[in-house]
Amino acid sequence: MTVGFLAALIMWQGCSEGEKDLPTGPITLEWWHFWTDPDIRPTIEQMVADYETANPNVKIKLTDLTWANGHEKIVVAFSSGAAPDIVELGSDWIPEFSFNNQLAPITAAVLADTGAYYGWNPTIHKNDIYAHPWIMGTRVLFINRGLLKRTALDTNFIPLNWPDLKKLCYAVDSLGEDIYGFGSNAAEKHRLYKKFLPFFWSMDGAIFGYTDRFAGFAGDQAYKAIKFYKELHDSCSLVDSQRGLEDAFLEGKVGVIISGDWLLKRIKKENRNIEIITTLFPGPKYPGKSFLGGEYLAVSAQSPHKDEAAKFIRFITAPERQLQFCRANFSANPSSKTAAADSFFMSDPNLQTFVKQINLSQMPPADPQWVNIEDLIEKTLEKILFEKAPMAETLYETNKKIQEYMDKNK
Amino acid sequence: MKGRSSLAYFFASPWIATFGIFWLFPLIFSLYLGFTDYRLLRPEFNWIGLDNFTRLLGDAAFLESLINTFIFVFGTIPLTTVIALLLALLIERGFPGRTLFRAGYFMPSVTSLVVVGLIFSHLFSRGGYIFLLARICGFDPPEYGFLLSSRTALYSIMAMDIWMSAGYYMLLFLAGLKAIPIELYEAAASSGAGKIRQFFHITLPLLKPVALFIIVINTIKSFQIFIEIFVMTRGRYGTSTAVYFIYETGLNRFEFGYASAAAYILFIIIALFSLVQFWLFRKGQIT
Repeated sequence: MTVGFLAALIMWQGCSEGEKDLPTGPITLEWWHFWTDPDIRPTIEQMVADYETANPNVKIKLTDLTWANGHEKIVVAFSSGAAPDIVELGSDWIPEFSFNNQLAPITAAVLADTGAYYGWNPTIHKNDIYAHPWIMGTRVLFINRGLLKRTALDTNFIPLNWPDLKKLCYAVDSLGEDIYGFGSNAAEKHRLYKKFLPFFWSMDGAIFGYTDRFAGFAGDQAYKAIKFYKELHDSCSLVDSQRGLEDAFLEGKVGVIISGDWLLKRIKKENRNIEIITTLFPGPKYPGKSFLGGEYLAVSAQSPHKDEAAKFIRFITAPERQLQFCRANFSANPSSKTAAADSFFMSDPNLQTFVKQINLSQMPPADPQWVNIEDLIEKTLEKILFEKAPMAETLYETNKKIQEYMDKNK
Repeated sequence: MKGRSSLAYFFASPWIATFGIFWLFPLIFSLYLGFTDYRLLRPEFNWIGLDNFTRLLGDAAFLESLINTFIFVFGTIPLTTVIALLLALLIERGFPGRTLFRAGYFMPSVTSLVVVGLIFSHLFSRGGYIFLLARICGFDPPEYGFLLSSRTALYSIMAMDIWMSAGYYMLLFLAGLKAIPIELYEAAASSGAGKIRQFFHITLPLLKPVALFIIVINTIKSFQIFIEIFVMTRGRYGTSTAVYFIYETGLNRFEFGYASAAAYILFIIIALFSLVQFWLFRKGQIT
């Protein structure tokens, strides 16, 4: 009944949208975004105020979304014809909207930017660009140097490959009953697969195969990657939620975790007295590949002010605004290559690690079915890691299901 | 007379309008959606007849969620009912501090399901008290906790549900026990009937309507199990239930047509069970 009511409401809203009159005078662009953190909200407001000063004929109306239900709100708004002019989208969501013709192509407006920014892959559909990369998100290895110093390894030991990583984790794990070598993610939706895929990609694995025609999740690469990950998980890991792992890492109970730049921000904000090393993701050989996602800005196909919206997006994603944003948020993942070369990132070795890692990271395939495929991969990992399901057979079953999703697209 | 009935309709109209807009219309509209391929973000949709229903019958995830729902219903209802009855009998006997016990047993029913779910998630996790207790008692709990294994996850949630609901049904049984005339027991005692005979020949038959009422409402509630699953496992480790499947399909994958069809299958199952129980209820009253 809830489904029925929601559907009816969406359709009714959609039908009544056509009656809306276009406003006269200065135009108002509605921007839905996720940056509600008090650390960054004033910076967003400042950028908006700067834009309005430079463009007196435009007013920007900010609407806050939360990660808990933002995706649902956006989908419902687009379906009911009440989409905002500009919307912030996670990299995984863009194909879902662009493949269903819900976004306006902004190719002409952003073509000049394509060489100067990272992360265009999910924005492209049928030779058009549907979103502009804004703030990227990658993961690196965090090493607790205090624990490293207590092992017999060199105090500057950096794992360059998987055998090194194993050596480090085992060395830390042997320090005591309550100390773990590696932080392995428990079954948390949207997280576990992001921790495993770097191992798979570092083996040169490709989920959609090398030709995008045959699923490639049951091959040697997937098997070796899951085998290595499981070995760490089984032999020297603390298993907990991402937040739990980060807590344990900061308390000196875990030697190595995979995390993002939010942890740097947390260490700084909480004034933690901890010595850390951040380093690039290792592979079987140096270097490995990490996971790359990010925040994008897109223009709704329903917007009556597409050109103005695209202009605003270019303003917000410009290198100087990205720097302003990263300084305020202590983020280390600008999508702009010019911003990434700024001294702000170069002067801090940890921020530098992130900036370097973006270059050595991969994004999931741009596919409208990705949300389902991601779920499949996560369930597979849970079965293998937590329920001791046989690896080869489980990967084979998952591969078959991924192929079914790929065939649906054809 | 006509004026009086118009006035009655006028006063009833807010309820009729609310019922029509928020209950009846969505109910009929979701039935219609069940025969379409409607999904959000794709404005155009088609009538596809019974395709959603036939697809559901071959959908392993839906069938698994349906089986889990049945396990949940048939696993929890008898135990909850028996435990609630035993607690009611115990409380009714009268002993020092019984008010405290009554309040204690009832307390879980007034606590937020989300809070209880989160607390039990910790208790069932590796290092949680239930996990440690199981180890001390010589059991072999799953390595990463009860909720991270399909061997134990669903049963752990069922145990929590029984703990949570028994107190509420205990109160209903207590009300039923209070309604039994004391004279019946006095007459039975004077005829030489012992406590056990009194229980089986007086208490139990007279509690039948209350028991059937409890079973009916508990069945409907159990078929709709969702919050516990959402909070504790997100449908993982063999705990996906029918309503969780509908939620995932409708509000995560946005396949409204398919989700509506699944909702109607569940609706039919609940309706059938309720009809059977009402029939039993009526039969019980006659006898």
